[in-house]
Amino acid sequence: MKKTINYNKRLRNPKQMFSKAHFDYLKKFRTRKLLISFTQILILVIFLLSWELLTKYEVVSSFFFSSPSKIIKTIGELYSSGELFYHAKITLSETLIGFVIATGIGFLVAFVLWYCDFLRRVSEPYLVVLNSLPKIALGPIIIIWFGAGSKAIIFMCILIIIIVTIMNILNSFTSCDKQLIALAKSLGANKFQIFIKLILPNSLKDIVSTLKINVGLSWIGSIMGEYLVSKAGLGYLLIYGGQVFNLNLVMTSTVILCVLASAMYFIVALFEKLMNKVYHS
Amino acid sequence: MNKLVSIENLSLIYQSIDSETTALKNINLEIEKEEFIAIVGPSGCGKTTILSLIAGLIKPTTGEIKILDKVPNLKSNLCAYMFQRDNLLPWRTIEKNIYFGLELKHKNTKDNQQYALNLAEKYGLKDFLKKHPNELSGGMRQRVALIRTLSLKPELLLLDEPFSALDYQTRLKLCDDIFKIIKNEKKTAILVTHDIQEAISMADRIIVLTARPAEIKAIHKLEFKPDLTPFNRRNTEEAKQMFDIIWQEIQNEKDDKL
Repeated sequence: MKKTINYNKRLRNPKQMFSKAHFDYLKKFRTRKLLISFTQILILVIFLLSWELLTKYEVVSSFFFSSPSKIIKTIGELYSSGELFYHAKITLSETLIGFVIATGIGFLVAFVLWYCDFLRRVSEPYLVVLNSLPKIALGPIIIIWFGAGSKAIIFMCILIIIIVTIMNILNSFTSCDKQLIALAKSLGANKFQIFIKLILPNSLKDIVSTLKINVGLSWIGSIMGEYLVSKAGLGYLLIYGGQVFNLNLVMTSTVILCVLASAMYFIVALFEKLMNKVYHS
Repeated sequence: MNKLVSIENLSLIYQSIDSETTALKNINLEIEKEEFIAIVGPSGCGKTTILSLIAGLIKPTTGEIKILDKVPNLKSNLCAYMFQRDNLLPWRTIEKNIYFGLELKHKNTKDNQQYALNLAEKYGLKDFLKKHPNELSGGMRQRVALIRTLSLKPELLLLDEPFSALDYQTRLKLCDDIFKIIKNEKKTAILVTHDIQEAISMADRIIVLTARPAEIKAIHKLEFKPDLTPFNRRNTEEAKQMFDIIWQEIQNEKDDKL
């Protein structure tokens, strides 16, 4: 497990005795860390500043490229009219519902297929075909089945996530060290115990990385779905803004999407930390 | 006579798509309590298969194995396996690794945990309990694996080349350690190895198997002074003579089959 590097604390604590070399080493380490953070922020500032200035003095057209100040203004307008939360809420709920259902079912199916070797072999070709099929091609069918509303969008979202989830997690389940399983068997473990004590902790990393991939995919699913059928949501704002050539609206929606998607990613990252704590003790 | 294991007319035929292989043929053996048995033989002759059969991991084609007059199965608590690799779970601390067997057997009680901890303490693992396996040396890890095995209080230890993944010095040291632990705890053990010297240094009796299909070619009883450690045994004249005898037997076996 990774140890937290308390270099800052150690540098500040004068009671601890360091050799000069160790002190220099810690300092160098800290400088490097600060430099990385500084450069990251610098790039963002330069990007925003040049965007703002270039559009302000019309070096590039502010109509086509919008600008940071206009985006902030648009967010303000959307906020005061109540539209910001309205659209964000719709897309966010579609995304979350799709994410949870697809990940949950995907995990369960992966478990069943791991448990029953016969089913796994039977389902293999179907999974391969479904995986390579571009899910967006099913758009028309989904609209006919579910109507032009949130249901269709959630279904699209689930469709995009579920097959990849099943394949990734199943792959991880079956890649557990055979010798560890042999050991557990020699200790009289049944299949369920093997799953709980070996397979699950062993697959934790892959499960978390699947969750991270699914965060991205669920947003693709819901925005795709909204492109196809929606009457509201961020995807709807994007399409609508594009159609009426309101690029402020398009850019603003993109920024809001970025913020929401990162927030979701961070929650998954927190979950990862929590799980590591539970299992690595 | 204090009989622990009896094997009668044991044979095993493996089925595979391409062929049918006779792995073991007509094995008869009795093992007494607190005896240390070593099984040697040409590589691939089915040494490990015998252990799997005794542990109840696979069923014999004909014949019978009984431990304390019972047919072994995985749920019973008569034997415990120790593998070539330590098979410690990397995500668990040493302490939790030691409890792994107890958990699987639903015997993870305070008493049993304490028993396991006492063993760990007695054999020098006290300071490592909160560490993870990747922080320990190979010899240490194998010792943890032995404690995990012993904490189940098995009647019979099945050691499947437990030293062969280690470097030579660690192996000599660990041989002494494990020999001491097994004798201290008064356990019966069957050691499968390809290393004749190792077999001689630890065992009370050595079973030499023929090439596949494996039969018992010879059984050698070793009479060393009881206070000799495996390391000391290696340097005795008897050990050298015994090595030559067994070496010849295995060599002949290979030549016969060529």
